[in-house]
Amino acid sequence: MVHALRTLDLEIAGGESVGVLGESGSGKSSLALALMRLLPKNARVVSGSIDYAGRSLADFSPAELRRMRGAQVALISQEPALALNPVLPLGKQLADVLRAHGKLAPQEVAARCDEMLREVGFADPERILRAYPHELSGGQRQRVAIAQALICRPNLLIADEPLSALDVATQADILELLQRLKRDLGLAMLFITHNAGALSAITDKIVVMRQGETVAQGTMDALQVSQDEYVQGILFPEKTLANAALAQGSIPSGAPLLEVRGLSKKFVQKRLLSRKEFVVQSLDEIVLSLAVGSTVAVLGRSGSGKSTLARCLAGFETPDSGDILLEGKRAEKNKFGARPPVQMIFQDAATSLNPRFTARQIVAEPLEIARWKSEPDRTIRAMQLMEEVGLDPDWASRLAGEFSGGQRQRLALARALAAGPKLLIMDEALSGLDMPLQAQMMRLLMDLQSRHGLTYLYISHDLNFISLFAQEVVVMDSGRIVERTTPEKLGESSHPATRELVEASERLHAPGVEAAV
Amino acid sequence: MIRYFARRAGHGLLMLFGVSILLFLLFQAAPGDFLSEMKMNSQISPETITLLRAQYGLDQPLPVRYWQWLKSSARGDFGYSFAYNAPASTLLWPRARNTLLLSVPALLISWLIAVPLGVLAAGWRGRWADRLFSGGTSALLALPDVLIALVALLVALKTGVFPVGGMTSINAQDQGMWAWLRDLGWHMVLPVTALVVGSLTIILRHVRASVIEVLESSYIRAAEGHGLPRFKLLFGHALPAAANPLISLFGLSVALLLSVSLLIEVVMSWPGIGPLLLEAIMSRDLFLVIGAVMLSTVFLIAGNLVGDVLLYAFDPRIRRQG
Repeated sequence: MVHALRTLDLEIAGGESVGVLGESGSGKSSLALALMRLLPKNARVVSGSIDYAGRSLADFSPAELRRMRGAQVALISQEPALALNPVLPLGKQLADVLRAHGKLAPQEVAARCDEMLREVGFADPERILRAYPHELSGGQRQRVAIAQALICRPNLLIADEPLSALDVATQADILELLQRLKRDLGLAMLFITHNAGALSAITDKIVVMRQGETVAQGTMDALQVSQDEYVQGILFPEKTLANAALAQGSIPSGAPLLEVRGLSKKFVQKRLLSRKEFVVQSLDEIVLSLAVGSTVAVLGRSGSGKSTLARCLAGFETPDSGDILLEGKRAEKNKFGARPPVQMIFQDAATSLNPRFTARQIVAEPLEIARWKSEPDRTIRAMQLMEEVGLDPDWASRLAGEFSGGQRQRLALARALAAGPKLLIMDEALSGLDMPLQAQMMRLLMDLQSRHGLTYLYISHDLNFISLFAQEVVVMDSGRIVERTTPEKLGESSHPATRELVEASERLHAPGVEAAV
Repeated sequence: MIRYFARRAGHGLLMLFGVSILLFLLFQAAPGDFLSEMKMNSQISPETITLLRAQYGLDQPLPVRYWQWLKSSARGDFGYSFAYNAPASTLLWPRARNTLLLSVPALLISWLIAVPLGVLAAGWRGRWADRLFSGGTSALLALPDVLIALVALLVALKTGVFPVGGMTSINAQDQGMWAWLRDLGWHMVLPVTALVVGSLTIILRHVRASVIEVLESSYIRAAEGHGLPRFKLLFGHALPAAANPLISLFGLSVALLLSVSLLIEVVMSWPGIGPLLLEAIMSRDLFLVIGAVMLSTVFLIAGNLVGDVLLYAFDPRIRRQG
């Protein structure tokens, strides 16, 4: 038995908005589901009660519960991509919620849907009503999900990580929308997140959770002066980094480890028995050089060619033209078609590690492929590497699937280090992690860098902690490098692609709780 | 949209060619031919056999025979039956119609029962009704099709309500259109029932499994969180989302039904393709076997095409691919 929640006390008054802040695994989502009585069947309420408008939820009959859900208390969940039925038009999904809570004439249903979609910021509701989820972007889908939640005018909205699956620019838009709706509709709100920056703008009161318990609660101002280490860590993740930060602002000018000259790659899609070709110019004459021991961040929105660049450098893709030089020599692939001095860490550790392999097998695999020493030596080396990335070597025989998201990313890091790399490419490797975890990982990476003289290419779509972590920033757009600068000067840039990134992250982080941009 | 179906139909045509070539090769590899049995007969001289062989074209090399068959198929004959001394098509068409008479109603009835029951079972998952249901379908699944057919025959014999075997009564044709239709319907009841029982359980279990999978998805939980009524949730939201794998199963169920049908026709002496195919295989009546197998392939491809059309209608993501 695992306790997802214990001794949690929480009160939300009408029109009040309460933020719940906690690391992943702190029981935030269980709280959201418990409030809707939507916990899965294998969950049991051990003790305690949830009262809504003075009545215990446990006393609600199934029919009463159904009438409460959506009409009085509504939920928007983490993944807008998964919250909408993929095979039904959005108009039907919206109208069904309305019809579930009262008989209305068809014209009235249509009018209410139209009005609601306008309220969440769609200028062309007719098109959205006819569309299917896959035809919309992530941000648009989240808007529709919000419309679905609010169309019956509930008193309380539970928002479970409504931003974390979106890119930064969209996150800022959705946050503004929720702020406006809360004000206009007089909504009470429970806003669940791991990102302290978003909370101060939208909530009156904040509850900090850890492992199902309340650690602290109060206003943002009160929490900021809290002495609790966990509260400080989650409010100011960048503090973890500040101590480790190296000399900033100077681009290391040592010998280049990697030089890229005129790298181009296009993808051609062709269908059998058809002459039509779809050409995507993914990389266009990329020129780049990385000094030994430096960290260069590659920024850009999704689809800008960042990942293709990473894959070309690591040897997964063969570029159409251009040269990749490692320490002044053309980078050759070995007989396995790999480029061991360049290692890559992927965005999703859950899918880049075989869940049926033990931690030892995963970390020792590059050693095995290289036929490095003997089996016992490899095991010892694997355990050393695990220790180096902050994992308990006693866990070597656990399966990858048993590790948490942050731990799996450490495991992926250990595996990359086992190959003895000079250059480590992190393709959105930290994007899936909580802010506090991101900060911890960066701290670890900086330690490793100073210890082993590693060079990092850090690919990201957001600016979290960039100024503390990277010495140089490269902005990509449509397959080209549009700007090279330092993190400090990023804010002064006038290029539209750069401005977009900077503005999005400014809107998302309220002043005072700034997550070190 | 038209391009989508043209492409699908094109694939079907290619498949037919592939199957026909494979059939010719298989027959080539099998020992003996239609005339092998005559060779044993001392009253037929070797000269006669050589003559017959030349007449049937069996002395030609394989590619030539295939080409001849293609030409004959283009004329609509589909080769020549040695045993019946007639073009294969004149034998196959009426039989094909009779087989369709059984399998199309059986197909529709199976799906009409399986879909609502499967969705309800998924909605009741873990409760006693669902356990009872799962136990029942497992038991049915374990029954061999022959046994089902035999039990049906036994029921017919003991009760005398339904006719045993055959397609029509001897004098049915004389009593006018309506009497004939009623008689035919009466004869269809048992074989169709046996077919439905034989194919229903597999469909049912698939429907239940795919709806359960969808019920666990986050969009159904979100819809539940919006307070949608249970019935609407199951049939209006979960079923359309679960339809995709089921529609693929629809094509497969045509194949399943055809293979069960061949067997049941033989047991219940229904004059469909089944008994004809059996006879043709026994006497190595080359073109008749090929024709019968090709017909089954055509049914199968047609079933899959219907499935594609349904998929197109149900799944907006497919429509976009065009």
